[in-house]
Amino acid sequence: MLIAILAGFLLALFMPNVIRGLKGKSSIGIALLPFSLFSYFISFLPRISSGETLHFNWSWVPSLGVGLDFYLDGLSLLFTLLITGIGTLVFVYTSSYLKGHQYLDRFYAYLSMFMASMLGVVMADNIITLFIFWELTSISSFFLIGFNNDSEPSRKSALTALGVTGFGGLFLLAGMVTLGYITDEFQISSLAAMSGEIHGHDLYPWVIGLVFIGAFTKSAQFPFHFWLPGAMKAPTPVSTYLHSATMVKAGIYLLARFTPILGNHVMWNTTLIIVGSITMLYAALHAIFRLDLKGILAYSTISALGILTFLIGLGTEEALTAAAVFILVHALYKATLFLITGIIDHETGTRDVSQLGGLNKIMLPVGIAGLLAAVSNAGIPPSFGFVGKDLIYEATLHFGDLAWVLTGAAIVTNVALLFAGFLAGIKPFVGKLPEKFSKLHLPGPAMWVPPLILAVLGILFGLIPPLVDGPLIKPIVAALTLQDPDFYLHLWHGFNVILALSVATIATGIALYFIIKPSEALLGKATRFESISPHSMVKGLGRGFTWFSAKWTNFLQNGYLRYYLITILSFLTFLLAYRLFLGVEIYVDTSVLSEITIYEAIIVLIMASAIFFTVFTKSRLAAVASMGVVGYSFCLIFLFYSAPDLAMTQFSIDTLTVILFVLVIYNLPKYLKLSDNRDRIRDGLLSLIFGAMISILTLEVLNESVQKDISTYYAENAYLLGKGKNVVNVILVDFRGFDTMVEITVLAIAALGVFSLLKLRLKSIEKE
Amino acid sequence: MKTIIFQTASNYLLPLLLLFSVFILLRGHYLPGGGFVGGLIASIAFVIHSFANGLEKTRSIIKFHPGFLMPVGLVFAIGAGAAPWFVGQPFMTGLWFEDPIPVIGMVGSALFFDTGVFLVVIGVSLTIIFTISETL
Amino acid sequence: MSNPYIVLPIIFQLFLAILLMFCWTQKNLQKLVSTVGSLIAVAIAVIMFAQVWKSGTLVTQAGNWGAPFGITFVADTFSVLMVLLTTLSGLAVSVFSVGAVRNARVKFGYFPILHFLIMGLCGAFLAGDIFNLYVWFEIIIISSFVLITIGGEKAQLEGSIKYVTMNLLASVVFLTAIAVLYGLTGSLNMADLSLKVAEIENRGLVNVTAILFLVGFGIKSAVFPLYFWLPASYHTPPPAISAIFGGLLTKVGIYALLRVFTLIFIPDAFMITLISIMAALTILSGGIGAMIQNNIRKIFSYLIICHIGFMLAGLGMYTELAILGTVFYLVHDIIVKTNLFMVSGLIFKIKGTYSLRLLGGFYKDYPKLSLLMAIPLFSLVGIPPLSGFWAKFYLIRGGLEVDNLVLVGFIILGSFLTLFIIARFWSEAFWKTGEELPKKLKVKYYHELKPLKQKAMVVSILFLAFISLGIGLGAEYVIQVASRVAEELMNPQSYIEAVLGKL
Repeated sequence: MLIAILAGFLLALFMPNVIRGLKGKSSIGIALLPFSLFSYFISFLPRISSGETLHFNWSWVPSLGVGLDFYLDGLSLLFTLLITGIGTLVFVYTSSYLKGHQYLDRFYAYLSMFMASMLGVVMADNIITLFIFWELTSISSFFLIGFNNDSEPSRKSALTALGVTGFGGLFLLAGMVTLGYITDEFQISSLAAMSGEIHGHDLYPWVIGLVFIGAFTKSAQFPFHFWLPGAMKAPTPVSTYLHSATMVKAGIYLLARFTPILGNHVMWNTTLIIVGSITMLYAALHAIFRLDLKGILAYSTISALGILTFLIGLGTEEALTAAAVFILVHALYKATLFLITGIIDHETGTRDVSQLGGLNKIMLPVGIAGLLAAVSNAGIPPSFGFVGKDLIYEATLHFGDLAWVLTGAAIVTNVALLFAGFLAGIKPFVGKLPEKFSKLHLPGPAMWVPPLILAVLGILFGLIPPLVDGPLIKPIVAALTLQDPDFYLHLWHGFNVILALSVATIATGIALYFIIKPSEALLGKATRFESISPHSMVKGLGRGFTWFSAKWTNFLQNGYLRYYLITILSFLTFLLAYRLFLGVEIYVDTSVLSEITIYEAIIVLIMASAIFFTVFTKSRLAAVASMGVVGYSFCLIFLFYSAPDLAMTQFSIDTLTVILFVLVIYNLPKYLKLSDNRDRIRDGLLSLIFGAMISILTLEVLNESVQKDISTYYAENAYLLGKGKNVVNVILVDFRGFDTMVEITVLAIAALGVFSLLKLRLKSIEKE
Repeated sequence: MKTIIFQTASNYLLPLLLLFSVFILLRGHYLPGGGFVGGLIASIAFVIHSFANGLEKTRSIIKFHPGFLMPVGLVFAIGAGAAPWFVGQPFMTGLWFEDPIPVIGMVGSALFFDTGVFLVVIGVSLTIIFTISETL
Repeated sequence: MSNPYIVLPIIFQLFLAILLMFCWTQKNLQKLVSTVGSLIAVAIAVIMFAQVWKSGTLVTQAGNWGAPFGITFVADTFSVLMVLLTTLSGLAVSVFSVGAVRNARVKFGYFPILHFLIMGLCGAFLAGDIFNLYVWFEIIIISSFVLITIGGEKAQLEGSIKYVTMNLLASVVFLTAIAVLYGLTGSLNMADLSLKVAEIENRGLVNVTAILFLVGFGIKSAVFPLYFWLPASYHTPPPAISAIFGGLLTKVGIYALLRVFTLIFIPDAFMITLISIMAALTILSGGIGAMIQNNIRKIFSYLIICHIGFMLAGLGMYTELAILGTVFYLVHDIIVKTNLFMVSGLIFKIKGTYSLRLLGGFYKDYPKLSLLMAIPLFSLVGIPPLSGFWAKFYLIRGGLEVDNLVLVGFIILGSFLTLFIIARFWSEAFWKTGEELPKKLKVKYYHELKPLKQKAMVVSILFLAFISLGIGLGAEYVIQVASRVAEELMNPQSYIEAVLGKL
């Protein structure tokens, strides 16, 4: 099982070699991987439909409770079959669609990586593992969408897609961590039993909010839907794969998977119903106005995802059944429509639906596939779509007080979807064949067989529902409701309200198809509202954020060292003052302080005037000299407090420093600009306050009585153990000799620095 | 500054000051002094000499680049520090010869260490000062 | 347990630096010595890590003066972990330098000073004495200052002035803090301080002292509003130097913060709030700063700040799990940031520019290198299961534990900004069709270099990329180490006992 999931990653790794191995020959052989996975998973069908679930655990990060834990129940199985099944067809299709493409190997590498990640998502039994694969799908789809990386729009939309899904992903992570924190359980299959505990927790609204953002961004729910139409810049096989069965369904999968855990709560249901219905209506209306075939499909996909969210939001057994069926229905017809769009684009070079027509004459099998898909999409009997739509109406009609409102929304959506499906599946093939397309011919079977297979399945499942209801749909509903469901899918329910609604939907839709002709003018009307669409708002938000970023960054990082220092010192001073005045009882205990002698007073006076002179003098030499005076005054203070060694060292150091300064300054020009008085006052004030803080702090510290163990120890043991009478020296070379060693190293480095700074002048060719 | 008196004086001053610096180094363990101050005094001696006779003259007396003293001094220091390792003692543990040596007194690893300090300080100050006066 | 040899990582680097000083002008010999030496240093660090892992905290008292009288060195799990990481990125940078550093710089002391810097870092991690820690900070400042200026280009000098001024200010604050602390306790030994500070009745004064440490180390670790030196200087020196800076310099500050605020000053409510606010604003400022940059090294510089915020956030949450997250992040970040600056250096060598606008077409021309570079880039983002992800998990968890949802929000924001910035970076530098750039005379391009030099650069990037992968996939082991570190930090009893003996 682990191998099955990770096989895609392995293949991706070796893809360049594989493709090179197949040099020149058809790369169709790659499709063996998804196909064998498909066969592998379908072999579980009997066991799953008998109610079994399969678990696989492989310990990875046990201290986090994260393992490569996978399990297979009805829901997972449906998705794995879709992923590998449609995957196989997409792989086959690609071998012809991108035949001879320079980077075919990369394309297949990303595609199999993506497939593996999707398998991981739908089979993960651990919320963290789920998240890991979730992020991997975002990243691999980033590479897929941006595959045509020479084109700017393609890069932009890849970035938008990653931005939105990655954004959601992080929220999902937070949600998962919170969930794990509440329950201390990461196993999805065990979490359902703790549903009550989770519902009662204070953080429950946070958890579902975070999970929702994750799911909505991935599944392109309003207002995060805008990345999906942009993602149509990708090559068509990618769109097919991502948007019919996999990537965008991951969000739906997530919602479905968490229904038994987080669902059945008024917050959960209401949010999903509202968001789902807004999305389905909004996107369905948008789909009507599009000209680009892929644009139509993109919006109808969003709308379909809205329906699914909506159904999961309803949360009744009927609604969940409808959702399960609709996932399959939608995957089949939408993949078909995308694939035929790809063929049309590939052959005619345009996707503008107003220019297309009559293609039946040259590519009949494609046309048939289109027709069947449109029929299933429309929910015309005997297609599988009809079964799906009936279930949806059944679910909405049985939903208490709001039944008619919800049913109305569903009808409007379905009418628009029918229209969109006809536009994509039928319109290009009927009518008059434009002159310029007459020389075209049917592409190879690798391209037209896959859509045909899918389209036929869409009808077949409708004709013979038992093919799927027992083996697939029932285990799903069982997984979602945690009960053994008791229902059968029927094509024919007899004459009742639902049938009437169905007929009405189909009739209105077909009527619309004949009334509305897609045109530039119509598109123009729709784009007029573009400025208030979420996409524009997000763009505006992004611009605002960039503007703010620039302001903020340039305000702080303004390039002036003095402002940096002022900021740092003000920050420090403020904190010191705050903590000193609020936390410390300030008093000065004069009894512990010695008397101030006249010498000390004079020295301090000299120092103070020297400092003032340093600050105000206009000559550098004078400034250096007066700084030297400060240094020598320190020597005197050391002497007063009987530290001859320190005084001696300070004296020599000061002398050397002054010599050095003089050497350097001698060669410098005069001060060009002196700061004006306002600046000086500001800086002076800050220095004074800062100095005052440190002085107060020092005085307060003196109040504390401290045991001077260590100095006493040094004084007592210097001769005894250190064999020296000069305590300072013994401290330097023995007690704290290590510090001294480091300090002489510091000196050596400084000398090296001076040496290389002054001697090394890089010649131009030597520059980096 | 290159007066004859200064030049002559500095020629005598150099060995005297150097001797004094070594004296300061050696007595450090008992009285104010030590490698650091000693090194500074020695470098001041060379600086005075160079002021009087010009940099070239001073450099020709030293023969090698003063920067060379830095790694040598560091070797002394690191050697004095690491020696105790060979007898299983922590780094920088004081090791002492049994008997005091005349004039100097007790000799131990601390003195070697201080000599290292002495050499590094000379190397550092001379490198900096020579480099600056050469290039400016 | 006492072990006199735990200062070996420091002394060995010093030895290397001295050796390199003796072969001042022989550039090839220097390269050889540096590479081989760095390998040995890694070996020493690994052995030491194994020792500490097996037998617990090791201690040596320099000069055999018992604590608290002499200078103590302590190798607990945190210390040896940091030493190990330092030597690993030291090795990578040393090899990278073989290819990327111009000979002129090598002849003027590049390698000795690089090893002095690494010595300083190791010293700081092993110091068990607060003044000794200060001394190591000196080494770090002076050697990094020299490394920034070496070569003396105008941009370098301007950056270095800002760098050194603000870092010296940090040192002054740190030194003042030590002086005040010594005045309060009469001790410098960190284990001893831990006990003595706890006994002080005047908590107000302790809190004020803590502020001094916070700001001193805060400047070092480049947190808001003290980070100015970092974006002003990191983009100026040659890439090998920015690599070691980006990987390690700010992390010493974080190390010191973690050490001091778990061992000596146990933060009170005010401190916790303060650190949390600083962390949040650090994340924000770093993230949005990176958003608007065009120079790729500036982008990475701001991202350093952003991620320093993550680590500070862990300290601000102050639970064992959050500290675990911080330590994990530290491990991940050192390797990745070092690598990213090397990557930027390689990009520059190939294309001759750091400007994101001008770059492009990398993916088309150098597909294999691009894939290699993708590893550190996407590790940084924390795309699971690459290395950045796991730490974030713990940080979010820690935030939930202390109910600090705002901080969690900022962590998510920071992660999102990183994701967006790196994706855009990828799209611009790697995907976009780059225009033909005018050949710069001053640049020696990648393809003009000897094959050995080319290999040196690629191999070092590969080396760190592998470590990053290892951290991500072998997260379990890193978590075990990090959790032991966090446990030791939050329960300093064992540290104190190791230094001062059984109490």
